[in-house]
Amino acid sequence: MGAKDVKPTRSELIDLKKKIKLSEGGHKLLKMKRDGLILEFFDILSKAKDVRSELDAAYEKANEKIGIAESVEGRMTVKSTAFAMKDAPQIELESHNIMGVVVPKIESSSVRKPINKRGYGILGTSSYIDEAVDSYEILVEKIILAAEIETTMKKLLDDIEKTKRRVNALEFKVIPELKEGMSFISLRLEEMERENTFRLKRIKA
Amino acid sequence: MRLLQKLKRKSSPTHRGSGSNYAYATARVRAMKSNLLPRETYPRLMNMGIDEITRFIEESQYKQDVDELARVYDGVDLFEHALNRNLGVTFTKIINISEGELNYLISEYLKKYDIWSIKTILRGKYCNASVEEINDSLVAAGQLSYTFLSSLAEKESYESVIDALSGTDYYPTLKGYDGTNLSAIENQLDKEYYNGMFYAIGTPGSNDRKLFSKFIRTEIDIKNLSTLFRLKKAGVGEDEIADLILEGGLHLSMKEIEKLLPLPFSEFINSLEKYPYWEDISDIVSPEMDSLVDLETQLTRHSIKSAASFSHMYPLSIVPIMDYVLNKKNEVNNLRIILRGKAANLDEEIIRNQLVI
Repeated sequence: MGAKDVKPTRSELIDLKKKIKLSEGGHKLLKMKRDGLILEFFDILSKAKDVRSELDAAYEKANEKIGIAESVEGRMTVKSTAFAMKDAPQIELESHNIMGVVVPKIESSSVRKPINKRGYGILGTSSYIDEAVDSYEILVEKIILAAEIETTMKKLLDDIEKTKRRVNALEFKVIPELKEGMSFISLRLEEMERENTFRLKRIKA
Repeated sequence: MRLLQKLKRKSSPTHRGSGSNYAYATARVRAMKSNLLPRETYPRLMNMGIDEITRFIEESQYKQDVDELARVYDGVDLFEHALNRNLGVTFTKIINISEGELNYLISEYLKKYDIWSIKTILRGKYCNASVEEINDSLVAAGQLSYTFLSSLAEKESYESVIDALSGTDYYPTLKGYDGTNLSAIENQLDKEYYNGMFYAIGTPGSNDRKLFSKFIRTEIDIKNLSTLFRLKKAGVGEDEIADLILEGGLHLSMKEIEKLLPLPFSEFINSLEKYPYWEDISDIVSPEMDSLVDLETQLTRHSIKSAASFSHMYPLSIVPIMDYVLNKKNEVNNLRIILRGKAANLDEEIIRNQLVI
């Protein structure tokens, strides 16, 4: 909104003053939200780093354990044992709110099962299989946790970016333009005031 | 149907004691044993790359199996299937060249492969795996032929599979399967296998039969030890462990195991000191142990070592044949460990630890 587009009226001036007040209030709130989100983001970032390194370690271990199981017992044995494990882990997706940002909360169940409830017989299998299953159960748990934290982080980043753009727009575009318009109206009104005073003086004379 | 009749005939205890061809069978097995890879081969294989190892296998006794399976599989899978096929062919050959009581005992021992294949088929049906997937995981190294096992895999449902096995020793256990209690049925089949072995051995009269009995009972001890370690470490309750204990162990009788069952993991380990297995496992077991993999390998080593220790005592008995069966199985395992271990980029130390040389 350019200053020239503004009608130099007193009501417009009052309107602009209201808008400036509202924009400044909004700007302050958005700045607070942005700072809050950044703080929250850094908090989650450190958690995400930990979870990522745990996930990498769990993946490496799972690879090693399945490698050992496949070499000692054979891939055919591992595959056959896997047939007995039909129950997939259950995942429930909920959401919660961090400063207006809706982030996911993933609840998982039956990821880790006791050794005797996995579906395969104990007597026909070995520790190689048990440990491969254990390490993959841990890996799945880490993947679920990493998915929750990394999605939260991504959503927070998107919202920080959005809030930052709004703050910048208010700070460098909307409020300066409104202020420019207000000062234009003030000047114009003062000018009109002076013209009126001069006109009255000339009539009196 | 003819196969089932043959199975019933071979499984029949009436065959026990009838004319066995120990001299012929042991001579054939001795010749087969000379084809086993010497122990110095494994360190050499450890220094080779995958391509060199596969070439080595292609030029060995496994050549025919590799050639025949090359149109279906490739890479490391081809070699694993070829090794298993060779194992199956070798064990079937041993069953075929033996007669009478010897045949009966070997067949009973190799039933573990039939049980394994039946379990694989039931597992496959349980998770709706395709016939090809089930066939890929079958090892026909027992009495049941690959064609018969494959025909079982083609059955529509687990009920048809069980019906097709009616008349076999497995049927009484399998008919208790209701589509949900797979692990219980698997455990029951394994228990029945050891009960059957016990029935087959009977009360050993001769010295060689006593050694065979010792061999089987040592295997039961090792299985029980492994089960105890796995379940105790996982914190499974005493009663549930007791259900999975096999009777007839050599040093770990039911009475001894009953004493071990209520003990916590650390005390359980300490109480093993008085058994002969302690010497082999003392270095690797501790209350804080993270993995049982090394323990399992060590127990396998013990089993092979103890079989080898008396294999030369009675040259015309089942003992050298069982020694060959164990060594052949071990050769296939070692080759697979090296190949798969290298393909999975496992640390050389890890691969070496799993080898039983």
